[in-house]
Amino acid sequence: MDYVIDLVIIGLSVGMVYALVALGISLIFSGLDIVHFAHGEIYMLGAFIGLMIFQKLALPYVPALLLAIVVTGLIGVLIERLFYRRLTRAGGGYTVAGMGMIISGFGMSIVLQNIAFLIWGAKPLPFPVPFGMPVEVGNLTLPMSYVWIVSAGLLIMVGLHLLLRRTMLGLAMRAVAHNKDIAYLSGINVPAMISLTFGVGCALGAAAGVLIGPINYVQVQMGLGVLIKAFAAAVVGGFGSLPGAVLGGLLVGVVESLGAGFISGTYKDVYAFILLVLVLMVKPSGILGVEARMKA
Amino acid sequence: MTADIVKNTEQRAGGGASPSRRGSVHPIVPWIVAWACLLPLPFLLTNAYTQYVVNVICINVILAVGLNIVKGFAGQVTVGHMALAAIGAYSSAVLSTKLGLPFWGAMPAAMLVTGLAGAIVGVPSFRLEGAYLALATLGLAEAVRIIISGTDWLGASLGYAGIPPPYLAGIALDDYRSYYYLAMPLALLGLYFAFSILSSDIGRALKALREDPLAAAASGVNVRKYKVTAFVLSALYAGCAGSLQAHMAPGFIHPNSYTITEMITLLLMVVFGGIGHIWGGVIGAIAVTLIDDLTRDYLQYRMVMFGAVIVLTVMFMPSGIGGLIDDVLVRRRFKAIRRRRAGVASVVAADDV
Repeated sequence: MDYVIDLVIIGLSVGMVYALVALGISLIFSGLDIVHFAHGEIYMLGAFIGLMIFQKLALPYVPALLLAIVVTGLIGVLIERLFYRRLTRAGGGYTVAGMGMIISGFGMSIVLQNIAFLIWGAKPLPFPVPFGMPVEVGNLTLPMSYVWIVSAGLLIMVGLHLLLRRTMLGLAMRAVAHNKDIAYLSGINVPAMISLTFGVGCALGAAAGVLIGPINYVQVQMGLGVLIKAFAAAVVGGFGSLPGAVLGGLLVGVVESLGAGFISGTYKDVYAFILLVLVLMVKPSGILGVEARMKA
Repeated sequence: MTADIVKNTEQRAGGGASPSRRGSVHPIVPWIVAWACLLPLPFLLTNAYTQYVVNVICINVILAVGLNIVKGFAGQVTVGHMALAAIGAYSSAVLSTKLGLPFWGAMPAAMLVTGLAGAIVGVPSFRLEGAYLALATLGLAEAVRIIISGTDWLGASLGYAGIPPPYLAGIALDDYRSYYYLAMPLALLGLYFAFSILSSDIGRALKALREDPLAAAASGVNVRKYKVTAFVLSALYAGCAGSLQAHMAPGFIHPNSYTITEMITLLLMVVFGGIGHIWGGVIGAIAVTLIDDLTRDYLQYRMVMFGAVIVLTVMFMPSGIGGLIDDVLVRRRFKAIRRRRAGVASVVAADDV
């Protein structure tokens, strides 16, 4: 039984990371109506930026996390302005009906991945953060890094919730996600809100990258696996739904961890993909029953 | 989903043998001529390496044409094409080593297996469109690659070695020069079939499907049947290409030849060449393979460039090289008409004076 609980705890903490990436993807999907296939690379970039800030600037972990979030968010805004804006505008309003955005997302992911390779090389880099001794809860020992991931992830989610639900900025972002034409008419700066939405999405990806860094190594190839798992999470929860993304992320993490523990560790990465394909085939609207929007 | 990129190339998508030509000569005649013209190529390239590159070009042409069928004709966004090629390569390898089938038995069998896999990949397309389909195929493709690299009897991450070369009339096609005489006719055959599919009723149904599935269904096109048909056809191409990859000297395949990087390179061929434009895909395959080969010492810079070319092509030239060629051809035709009209006008004017 303890074994199962351990697996679930590992699954939940890794699932928290998937949930953050999935939140970013869902946020971008609801705001820009695009599925961002380069999001795994944003996550990788965020992890590297966090590591660089942590090592080169010798900042403590938490400021490094925050700074990496901001820097990656700005990079995201830049990418959106330079490359995606033209495509998202071409589809009428800000929607894309077609494969242009998907294809250019893949192109962007390969560009970012190889730029990262040119800068940081192929070798996995350690992210040595002294978290301290594991804590004991009842008869369970929890490594501090897992506690960190879960609590920081929860804090970020609460922050996002407050931003979207309690501020005028969040209201404007939600209005743009809901209907761009009416948002225009209400005097909202729609292009700026779209950039902001994309930036926040990228910032969430970066947060996930910096959080997973101390558990796994930071390496150039870390993006693709997480991308598909985050997609699986977003789809399982219902694409475009933010609570669904969190739920799906945790579910994918737990399924993966239990599958690795009980079936086979070799195919650890496959379980999430199978979950993704199954949900897409059986119930594309996800467990929260969001209406599957046939866009992009 | 109506892809607006594809829409641009809608009517211009390569028309195959034009109807006027069909009256006098059989449409396969130009292909036989092309085959005859391409025959001496390996003797002009004395270097074994360049011969190898030519073989790779042939295989990539088959892959790109196959991807064009499902992506360009039918408008279904799939990123699982390399996984299908992997299935073709590995089933061909297993059939020929474990069961001892000769190439001529293993390749059609591998194509059948791949076709079946293509049908399975196609099933999600009944309910999913656009990005959702891309997600599902991406998941399936990665699952296939991970399963291959984790399965011991498929060579796991060491690769699968010792695949025998094909024999043609008792001669082993075990060097690149002789292999060319297998790969090149198959590539031409693939092209010929692609053009015939495009100008047949299947091709029309697929194009209708691409433009508007609802309207197609209303006009009596069996949407599900033709979606699966498109996936199976493209999977057959992928299986053929995979089998060719497996049996080419030195008879070694590795799961790392079927990653997302290879998929993006393949995507680049089709996108750069022009989605839905068969000749564009061929030009893209040749150009990308050559560039890929010339810049092999600068792997990472090359991938940055490839990615950037994909993004910029989608942004500024959504119909690709094929679209540009069509534009030039159409413009020339217009110019000729205008010149003729102007000539008539000036004659008329001269008469008036």
